[in-house]
Amino acid sequence: MTQQIPLALCFLFGIVMILTEFSPHSFSQKLYEEIVNWGLIISPFALVLAVATLIQTHWARIRHRAEHWQYSLFVFAGILIMASLGIPTGPKNPAFEWFFNNVQVPMDATMFSLLAFFIASAAFRAFRARTFEATLLLITALIVMMGNVPIGNSIWNTLLSWTPWVDGASTARQWILDNPNLSARRGIILGVSLGVISQAIRIILGIERSYLG
Amino acid sequence: MLQKLMNLNRHVIFIFVALAVLIPTLIPMNLPITVPEQTQKLYDYIDALPPGSTIMIAFDYGASSFAELEPMAEAVMKHCLDKGIRVIGVTLMFDAVTLADKLMEKVAKEKGAQYGEDYILLGYRPGGTQVILGMGNEIARVFENDYMGKPLDEIPMMQNIKNYEQIELLLDLASESTVKQWVTYANVKYNLQIAAGVTGVLVSDMFPYLQTGQLVGLMSGFLGASGYEKLINAPGKGKAGINTASLVHLLIIGLVVIGNIAFFVQRLREK
Repeated sequence: MTQQIPLALCFLFGIVMILTEFSPHSFSQKLYEEIVNWGLIISPFALVLAVATLIQTHWARIRHRAEHWQYSLFVFAGILIMASLGIPTGPKNPAFEWFFNNVQVPMDATMFSLLAFFIASAAFRAFRARTFEATLLLITALIVMMGNVPIGNSIWNTLLSWTPWVDGASTARQWILDNPNLSARRGIILGVSLGVISQAIRIILGIERSYLG
Repeated sequence: MLQKLMNLNRHVIFIFVALAVLIPTLIPMNLPITVPEQTQKLYDYIDALPPGSTIMIAFDYGASSFAELEPMAEAVMKHCLDKGIRVIGVTLMFDAVTLADKLMEKVAKEKGAQYGEDYILLGYRPGGTQVILGMGNEIARVFENDYMGKPLDEIPMMQNIKNYEQIELLLDLASESTVKQWVTYANVKYNLQIAAGVTGVLVSDMFPYLQTGQLVGLMSGFLGASGYEKLINAPGKGKAGINTASLVHLLIIGLVVIGNIAFFVQRLREK
């Protein structure tokens, strides 16, 4: 029963939602709206599940004194502080906003900013014209980087003023994004979409059951 | 010497990057600013809307990428309020709502806009795709109250706004793949016009949607933000950001070129 009921519900709602896409009848549209509303009601439970899993995982780490278990204490401290400030008084609570603006924002921004340092170091080491493919990648990367910032055009127009192309850096970047990039991306999108459709059919028909756990 | 140059210690590179970030931050620079074609299209679209129109801004970014996306939100909101276009803020990401609230309040104060009449922040609801689809049916069924907890039917500017049919444009400011969700569910199903402002790393993903016309315009990273600021003649954080980005880009280009020169000279010597 624990397998059959979820499978039957999945099949029923999957088929109904597909049919509503092709039927403009008012009953069909009403049904569609109702199911979307059910989805909105169910969605917050995923958050509850996520918090429960987070607590379970970190509680186990503390209990078993797993490696770096001390960091898990900070997870609990964070949850307790933010939940005790935010739940009773809402997100406009000054203390809640203070913690968000002065703890979470700088920490998140710092983590993301570190990327610039590692990208610079990795680019210096990785972009070497060792083979034909590597040379192609190197030239493309240099053109896109030049075209990404307006100063790239100024340098192009100064150093390559004898060429017929004004603002060549941004023009070349645009061409790369509009042609080779666009073609490759579209191929990927089509491939992924076909994969998603076939996977959806497998799930609706109950062939793919890994989501049941 | 060449070997040393090719294997330059990464800490030295880190110091160069830090300097490239710090110098334009401490000493304001006047580097050139250009307006990309897609940013111009977005500006033209919004500029052509009549006063009293409504656009929705989806603040789909977290604290990690707000530096790149907030200047775009600020510039577009200033443009809208100057033109008498009403703005509805919404987010699919829970950590964006405080950032959105802070920014909308700041811009509204600067422009003398009234909450509930010129702009409103709906806030966050979990569900992603379900939220997009639900608002297509009826916004008030997804957001019964705004971010402040006030029922939508008591807010003056929401009196005539039921769903996407009364909204002229959705601008998604995204650091993740939410633009695809808005295009797939709001544009294809409800015919809502979509534009995007994305971080630099996401730009290449957007071009298939630009080419099909599913995106009416695009702002990409600091380049897009500074371009939009130039169009509305209000230089701000986008301009500061593109100055920093320019120097860091030049530094990386320089390092790559030097590394390759050293690599070739060494290979010639070995032969």
